[in-house]
Amino acid sequence: MLCAGLWVATKKIDYTWRWNRVPQYFVYVDEALISAPFDARVASLQRSGGTTIIKLTGEDGEEKTFEVDNDSLKVSENEELFQGDYLGSTSVWRFGPLMVGLWNTLWISAASSVIGLIIGLITGLCRVSKNPTLRSLSVAYIELIRGTPLLVQLFIFYFFLGTVLDISRILAGISALAIFAGAYVAEIIRAGIQSIPKGQMEAARSLGMSVTQAMTHIILPQAFKRTLPPLAGQFISLIKDSSLVSVIAITDLTKSGREVITSTFATFEIWFVVAFLYLLLTSVLSQVISWVERRLAISD
Amino acid sequence: MIKTVDLKKSFVGRGQTVYAVDGVSAHIEPGEVVVIIGPSGSGKSTFLRCLNGLETFTSGHIMIDGVDLASKKTDLNLVRREVGMVFQQFNLFPHKTVLENIILAQQVVRKRTRDEAEKKARQLLKKVGIAEKENEYPIRLSGGQQQRVAIARALAMDPKIMLFDEPTSALDPEMVGEVLEVMKQLALEGMTMVVVTHEMGFAREVADRVLFMDQGKLVEEGTPEHFFTAPREERAKAFLKQVL
Repeated sequence: MLCAGLWVATKKIDYTWRWNRVPQYFVYVDEALISAPFDARVASLQRSGGTTIIKLTGEDGEEKTFEVDNDSLKVSENEELFQGDYLGSTSVWRFGPLMVGLWNTLWISAASSVIGLIIGLITGLCRVSKNPTLRSLSVAYIELIRGTPLLVQLFIFYFFLGTVLDISRILAGISALAIFAGAYVAEIIRAGIQSIPKGQMEAARSLGMSVTQAMTHIILPQAFKRTLPPLAGQFISLIKDSSLVSVIAITDLTKSGREVITSTFATFEIWFVVAFLYLLLTSVLSQVISWVERRLAISD
Repeated sequence: MIKTVDLKKSFVGRGQTVYAVDGVSAHIEPGEVVVIIGPSGSGKSTFLRCLNGLETFTSGHIMIDGVDLASKKTDLNLVRREVGMVFQQFNLFPHKTVLENIILAQQVVRKRTRDEAEKKARQLLKKVGIAEKENEYPIRLSGGQQQRVAIARALAMDPKIMLFDEPTSALDPEMVGEVLEVMKQLALEGMTMVVVTHEMGFAREVADRVLFMDQGKLVEEGTPEHFFTAPREERAKAFLKQVL
């Protein structure tokens, strides 16, 4: 029903679907034409697999070899060539902008997730510590980050910090995302730690463990297990939020999509494809986390 | 072994200061089994928790094996490894198997090797009678079995003193016996034990001395025969009338 409705609606505005244009933006064949660099004679042709090695000898005895695809071979042995004559071409499979964008989005999200998790863990621990300075510092950080829009933070990181500290746009983007995620992760970790019954800490301390030992061996492993579902949500959000880095001209999936649209005008198709690619990333992450959850559930 | 001098612990709530432990002076000899009884809210658990530093006390002194807990120089972690504690709610580590529960602190605190710790753990599990459960997670054990694991876990640290905070109060009645049996065994082996309990039978049979606490004060102390048959204090008489 929905699909039929959409079809009718697009028919009405005379939109021509061109799905066939999409695949080339994932991978494409890059053909490079090779021409003779100087007047020369073809000294020898040697086939090796799918390519032919051409050996040229110039008038002054200069020698040079080239490799071209067999079916593109334009010269024969002992043929006299002038500078600029085509010898043939080579073709290489290359990733198109959508794949490059997907890859950038993937590693930017991964890097900022890991850094965000570390920041969040440290801040979360400060948040529950007895030290009032650490506690109020972490509260200030969390409030500051949670209370301002990520888009604005990105601009501040890129235009202000990026200029003042001379950091690259990628670094600015990743740190803005990581610091943003860290604030939310910190609250999740704090909730996790506080959800562990007090008796666990007491039991660990009564066995002579220090606070640090009790945290690392007893409290955090249990808290981690409980916080996995909200952490998963947070990191899925982070993948989606990473689309905002396109505003500081990082070529992530969203920006690649926009670039492709400017050259194809296949607006509808590309946005659907971009959405699907985000969905792909987030559902893989979901699956991985639910697998970890099942692994950890053995002690339940 | 344990000596408390005028121990006080106060809580401040709603502008009032409440003394949970109000001037308790007690002396516990090595190898002695002391049972603390009293109505709920009498401060017996708080007193026990002060003995291994889980509660900080307001004033007074606690000497454990000659070390003063009130002194700022005392490293509580060093004291705690000599003082085992068993809790009402067992407090086993749910993410670790029975064996790992007993091994962890031995490795982390006592710096024993894995082999040593495992050997010790198996030996203790055998002693408390659940050797076959070593690879189970705590959640799959009955309350009585969990409490016996908790006792084994505390014993694995080779403590000089064992504290029991109502170890049978969270158990189904039919499981109380198995835990008390382990504790009796421990008493016979000469462990210094301080037990907060409502099990009068245990107090009568095993205790060398009974302390009766009410409203944070140590009201009466004496041998079980004396305490259960001829208590001096009115408060103790009234309490015994209720529970016996």
